[in-house]
Amino acid sequence: MDFAWSDQQRELLDAVGRFASQQLNYDVIENDREGVFNREAWKKCGDFGIQGLLVPTEYGGLGADPLTTVAALERLGYACKDNGLLFSINAHMWTAIIPLVYNGSEAQKKKYLPGLSNGTLIGGNAMSEPNSGSDAFSLATTAVKKDSTYVLNGSKVFVTNGPVADLLVVFATVDKTRGPDGISAFLVEKDSPGMNVARKLEKMGVRTSPMAEVFFENCQVPEENLLGKEGGGAFLFTRSMTWERGCILASAVGSMQRLLETCIRYANERKQGGQSIGKFQLVASKIVDIKLRVESCRNMLYHCAWLSGHRKSVYLEAAMTKLHISDCWVKCCEDAIQIHGGYGYMTEYEVERDLRDAIGSKLYSGTSEIQRNIIASMLGL
Amino acid sequence: MKILVPFKSVPDPNDATVVGAAASTPKSVINPFDEIAIEEALRIRERGEAAEIVGITIGAPTVDEQIRAALAMGIDRAIRIDDSRALDPYAVARILRVLIEKEAPHVVIMGKQAVDDDSNQVGQMLAGLLRWPQATFVSKIEFLGNKTRARCTRETDAGLEVIEIKLPAIITTDLRLNEPRYVSLPGLMKARRKSIEVLTCDQLGVTVRPLTTVLSTARPPKRAAGTRVESVEELVTKLRQDAKVL
Repeated sequence: MDFAWSDQQRELLDAVGRFASQQLNYDVIENDREGVFNREAWKKCGDFGIQGLLVPTEYGGLGADPLTTVAALERLGYACKDNGLLFSINAHMWTAIIPLVYNGSEAQKKKYLPGLSNGTLIGGNAMSEPNSGSDAFSLATTAVKKDSTYVLNGSKVFVTNGPVADLLVVFATVDKTRGPDGISAFLVEKDSPGMNVARKLEKMGVRTSPMAEVFFENCQVPEENLLGKEGGGAFLFTRSMTWERGCILASAVGSMQRLLETCIRYANERKQGGQSIGKFQLVASKIVDIKLRVESCRNMLYHCAWLSGHRKSVYLEAAMTKLHISDCWVKCCEDAIQIHGGYGYMTEYEVERDLRDAIGSKLYSGTSEIQRNIIASMLGL
Repeated sequence: MKILVPFKSVPDPNDATVVGAAASTPKSVINPFDEIAIEEALRIRERGEAAEIVGITIGAPTVDEQIRAALAMGIDRAIRIDDSRALDPYAVARILRVLIEKEAPHVVIMGKQAVDDDSNQVGQMLAGLLRWPQATFVSKIEFLGNKTRARCTRETDAGLEVIEIKLPAIITTDLRLNEPRYVSLPGLMKARRKSIEVLTCDQLGVTVRPLTTVLSTARPPKRAAGTRVESVEELVTKLRQDAKVL
């Protein structure tokens, strides 16, 4: 086993770190307060090459392997403090780009992937519904074939990037009686007649990532925008979710590493009772816990990505990675606030925001409970 | 038009590593003023006024990382003079002179100084050795007369000075000339396909010997703790007797 990066990987990771620390960390507190998406930073990330990391070079991407990709996203999460922006980028990569890369027709790939890679287009998906969350395949949105179009009807919630998306991968059933086998995926462009991106949703964290409800009322989608096969939506969704679970918290590992360093610095600087608070064992022990979590999370992240790069199934590993990192991220943030005391609770110290941003990770891409169900089923339970 | 950009690899000024600290090698970067020179060359090429940008640096293979960064920013090709000695400005200028005579660029753009030794001499010495015109501390460059002349704005203590020089010439860059672009991942990928030519002083037929030697490098002395004074009289006395500034 080789734990060393190649020179090329190291060069790439350094470039990501330099880019992110210099170009993305402005107005983060204000944008979080107001819930503003930083479109300019999004475009910078696109030009720099983040969104296109996994996209094959013939469609304008970098064609990086999964391990290099998660390491780059980890470095991005370390150097960029805008977790919302990173969440939007992740949603875009795992729920719009990945299905296109795997299931898109040549024409669909040519049409959308270059723009999705360089930051001119924003993507997302629309899966969850008011009555279909964890029970994802019970969805009620319908797609009826009429001549050369599909007519979509239904409503979707928690659509990440919804308010700003140029392209949504929308899941609907062509035949409810077929259950999961009726579910199909459609590429729906912004401003399609009959698609209505309704109110922007206010959230506890990742506030700089916009989210909306989306309604479809006799929304006509040309048949060439069917993504994959009719009835192939459930498989496509599961694949995209597996990628997402394995990779979406790569940036969280970077964010935890940053928290660790912030805590060490603070514990060394802050003096109480005539000594640095880091000399108090109760404080030091918390920091050791953070360190252990960062290391275990990083190992799981890399291992899952390595397996994926070697074309092994990661259904189990991705669920474990997602479950473990989300748990650890929230705990690290709580500890970081505790170490900073009252200052940690203050917005300007930028520690409390991380906690608000972290909590959602136990909900999106399948709740922690769903991840446990997956793991249990894979253990034969 | 062909532009030649000499650049130097220096310890990262944004790296917190302390001079002389044990067991830590500071990360290296392209000298920030040279990065501005590279950026300017790229902008001139993007305006359609230049066809080729050649980067030159002197150093051991370890500086290849900075060369790749320059290639990733967009320069067309790079030459490294393989020499790991600590060279002084005159030695550097003499090596560059030979390469410039070989490459015959229309203009040489380089940083006004390197942030490690702050010598601020190579550009001027090079112009002297080549007997070329020079514009130093430049914050704006325009090409005139079908690219036979350059109008340069110089940042001087007295204000902005505008001069015109005939090409070929040496131009050294100041901080406000531009803001360098960042290296993108597609740029890095492309850079891997560009070539780095490695030459030695022997191959160039130039023998250089440093004329100056660095005797020692030391950290600045630690600032002593201040004292609180009770009155203006006491302050004046202390300034006279202890600080000896009055």
